[in-house]
Amino acid sequence: MDSLYKEQLKRLKECHFLVLYWAADAEVKGVRYNITNAFDDLKELGITRTKQSVMAYVESLYMLCFIEIRDERNRKNVYLSESGAQALEDLVKNGNFKIKRSRFLEEMK
Amino acid sequence: MSIGIGGAGSKLASLMNPEKATIVNVSQSELDKTVAHNKILAVAHSSRGKFQGAGKNPEVGKTAFISISEEIYELIKGDVVFTSTGGGTGNGVASVLLNKIADEPSISLNNKTMFAFVLPYVGLESAEFVENTVDFLLGPVSKAIDSGNTGNIMLFSNKLKFEGRIAEHDYNVMLATGLKNFLSIPRKGDEFALLDGHVDHEDFRVYLSKPYFNHFCQFEYTTERSFAELLKANYNQTLLPPEQPIEAMFLLEVPTPEMTSCFYNILDYFAVDHVKPAYGVVLNPQLKKPLLTLSLLYSRKPKELVDDFCHMVEDMTQKRIKKTINQFVKLEEQHRVNVEETVRKIEREDESSNSVLEVLGRLKKLR
Repeated sequence: MDSLYKEQLKRLKECHFLVLYWAADAEVKGVRYNITNAFDDLKELGITRTKQSVMAYVESLYMLCFIEIRDERNRKNVYLSESGAQALEDLVKNGNFKIKRSRFLEEMK
Repeated sequence: MSIGIGGAGSKLASLMNPEKATIVNVSQSELDKTVAHNKILAVAHSSRGKFQGAGKNPEVGKTAFISISEEIYELIKGDVVFTSTGGGTGNGVASVLLNKIADEPSISLNNKTMFAFVLPYVGLESAEFVENTVDFLLGPVSKAIDSGNTGNIMLFSNKLKFEGRIAEHDYNVMLATGLKNFLSIPRKGDEFALLDGHVDHEDFRVYLSKPYFNHFCQFEYTTERSFAELLKANYNQTLLPPEQPIEAMFLLEVPTPEMTSCFYNILDYFAVDHVKPAYGVVLNPQLKKPLLTLSLLYSRKPKELVDDFCHMVEDMTQKRIKKTINQFVKLEEQHRVNVEETVRKIEREDESSNSVLEVLGRLKKLR
């Protein structure tokens, strides 16, 4: 099981990391972070251009049980799961990626 | 015998006397162009020599000198070396030669070398020639003059060539003829009946071995005008104009013995400046009017010479700078960096791992 988790972790890209982080950050700030927000932020950073790809990233995180997606007021909001928190911590400790600012969360300040 | 270094120097040496001339070049094809008794190929980079010249680059000449160093150093003793000061081979080889001469503790009178330098005309010749000349005068020439180990130095100028629109060969013939006239003084002393004074081969040799600049000229002499005026009007236009003379020498050829005494006017002229010329008056019945061959030795610090040169260059440079300024293109400001903001951004990124862990800590989702 441990080795499977490590394999999963290896396959995560920067966009996965950022979505995990932004979801966590939003939750701490008491803000809801949805798939559209993720698309806007990733598009602004030049990481992706299409909403489909963002959907695919979010979907894959969900499949790995790193996030939960809840339908709330006609929005699909993203929440970090316990394994997602673990994954995020490990990604940070491994120094794989650096955080980038989410325009959406910056504006919420 | 005369030694010509580089293209320009070779042509002059050959015109002096092709039978006895030695020419030096880094290019075989350049050597082939000039008639000379002895041709020396200086090797710059390959054992076969180059087929191209030094291309205004004195460094090529300097490197090439190593291959001919001993041979040429022996050859120049007691002879005349012709070279241009602007080109690559002449400037390069002559630079090393002059430095070598300057480093000698002393050189005996008979082994001293005369140098004939052809200076470029600032107005119309390329900037590289002029820059090379300035370096040459301030460096090796200055050092050699200070050492006192050279013979006379003649500063030929290309000014008349360009201003008078004279073809190169014709101009070189003028230069060579002028010098031949001057060098013929002791021979004429032998050939013609001596009326007064005396300049023999030994006196002439001593005169040539003095480390000063030599300005020589030849003109018809008359007592109708003051000698100062006459001299000024008849300066040798192929040489730089002289300064106040330190020493002088002249040979006056007169058609009849009755005219002998007119040389006293010349002595009077020089006596004002306490110069006592070596002179000879000879009878040349083939002439209709007296003919004077005169040489003045003068001293000038190379720096002054360069200052003159630079003064002329200044005008040209100003024009060039003005042209450059006109061509100056203002670049548009692309992006202004806000240092404070950039520093903060970098700080934020550096702390990225801490801030993620902090967020996770607050989220309390870690098991």
